[in-house]
Amino acid sequence: MVRKNRQIQILILLLSLAILPVFFYTDRYIMNILILCFIWSIVAASWDLILGYANVFSFGHIAFFVIGGYSSGLLVNFLKISPWIGILVGGIIASMIGLLIGLPCLKLKGIYLAIVTFSLLFVLPTLIVWAGPGRFKNFSTGGTYGLQKILPPSLFGYTFTRSNLIPWYYLTFVFFITFLLIIYKIIHSSTGLALVALRDAEPLAKTLGINDYKYKLLIFGISSFIAGIMGALYAHYFEAISPANLGLNVFLITLVMVLFGGLGVFPGAVLGSFVITFTNELLRPLLEWRLVVLGAIVIITMILMPKGLMGIPELFSNLKYYHSQKNRWGG
Amino acid sequence: MNIETFFNLLLAGVTLGAVYVLMAMGLTIVYGVAKVFNYAQGSFFCWGGYFAWYLIERFQWNYLISILVTIVISFFFGILFENIIILPLRRFPNWEFTVIIVTLGCALLLDNLILVLFGPLSKTLPFLMEGVITFGNFTISIHNMLMILIAMAILVTLDLFLKKTRTGMAMRAVSQDITGAKIVGLPVNRLYSYSFGIATMLSAMSAILLIPRTLLYPLVGWTTLLKAFVVIVLGGLGNIKGTIIAAIILSIVEIFTSYLIGGIWAMPIFIIIMIVILIFKPKGLFGTW
Repeated sequence: MVRKNRQIQILILLLSLAILPVFFYTDRYIMNILILCFIWSIVAASWDLILGYANVFSFGHIAFFVIGGYSSGLLVNFLKISPWIGILVGGIIASMIGLLIGLPCLKLKGIYLAIVTFSLLFVLPTLIVWAGPGRFKNFSTGGTYGLQKILPPSLFGYTFTRSNLIPWYYLTFVFFITFLLIIYKIIHSSTGLALVALRDAEPLAKTLGINDYKYKLLIFGISSFIAGIMGALYAHYFEAISPANLGLNVFLITLVMVLFGGLGVFPGAVLGSFVITFTNELLRPLLEWRLVVLGAIVIITMILMPKGLMGIPELFSNLKYYHSQKNRWGG
Repeated sequence: MNIETFFNLLLAGVTLGAVYVLMAMGLTIVYGVAKVFNYAQGSFFCWGGYFAWYLIERFQWNYLISILVTIVISFFFGILFENIIILPLRRFPNWEFTVIIVTLGCALLLDNLILVLFGPLSKTLPFLMEGVITFGNFTISIHNMLMILIAMAILVTLDLFLKKTRTGMAMRAVSQDITGAKIVGLPVNRLYSYSFGIATMLSAMSAILLIPRTLLYPLVGWTTLLKAFVVIVLGGLGNIKGTIIAAIILSIVEIFTSYLIGGIWAMPIFIIIMIVILIFKPKGLFGTW
């Protein structure tokens, strides 16, 4: 009974998302934010598969997102293949590179893994700028300004352009639903269960014969694949992708999306993404102060609600902590 | 490449390595004592540089006094940082993960605060001392020489502090066995904040030594911090001798790569070296933790 109620709730939520454009179709601003919500929530949910379920401190997820975007953009613009195949290939390339990096790195201890994967975010821009205009005869990544004018996908003779956001809304919505289902299925598959077992009781799970390296590598590849697909979709949506997407702020905002909803609690990352994407857009009028405020929000959220949205009930006791005498200097 | 160029490059590598050791030592001490991996240290580096620049250029203070003031203030800033931001996190069960996010958030805040307050244009700090020393075909600037000497002096002082003073020994005790240290009644929270103070001071010192050779811009800390990451990963977290050797090897590699194939390849080559070594030695070359 409870399960059925839950299903009905989710169905109502998704249906209301599906008919939202009826109310907002004139407002490009809101439509744009909702499309971004769909894209980022899948990126965050796939990152949650690594961080929350596999319990691996991989900080390179945005790198796979950008790799997917660049692969698809370059293939579509310079080899003139269909953007749909480009998006798929973007995901495949991202997962290949993910596996290549995961192969040596997943054997490392937590903090070492965090450093190695984090450094990807700083190496990739160098390579992208290096492969900029004038380096190769047949293609160019566009250097610091990024790859511009990425061709939009088209379906049955209709081309998805930025002039009309409603088709884009439904396209990203379809991707959102599909990958949400895939991620849900992965979590409830034997792989997901094995990962949860490894996370919650590692010695026992290993004794039962669960090969942690194999499962972690598998989930690493899958989540890089999803990130790559979403990156390619993002690149086609904005018709551009640049090294700025690898910046520290993008990385942190996405990480906060995962953490805000709660780590390793399935729809958590999705809810977190919606909240954080809206907050981020609402902060735009602050101009250059926006990232300062965002940094402060990150710090305050983590100190007061380390469990994310699930930690709201503890908020007041956490606030009281600052007045308590228990943990003073020298204690 | 003739022999003079070779030795000049070698020397430039060693001077860079001296600064990376200081940064890496800061990270190692904080990780060893407070068990925090501090991603905000690059921003502390950057703030150290900007603070000194502000005192020298805007307040027109004497160079030596501004440096000393910067170093002292950075020590207290580190202590304050630990007490206000890191300490409240320690009571959560998964705080090792939370603290990484918080330090990253601090880095975002501090870096962008610099951008807002000082603007995106790059600044520069004066050399410690102008001029060069020449031996035949072989020249070395006095600043580079001082960089090595000062870094060595700092390292020796740090070593003596950790081995001879009561606070230093207490810090080593905390890093070896936190439960034991608590049982014998060491003031662990105070030691945590001391470790942060020392690390922040070290990053301000490395900024003062390194910035005159490069430039001062809002994201300058990240390149140095990443190199320090690679250094400690290779040297092994918590191994001082390993850190020094790794820093010197890597900075020599960096200088020669920049000279032979261009500066932008230094970081990719670092990462490749790091991954290859970690495949064979997952705890770094001399790692213990």
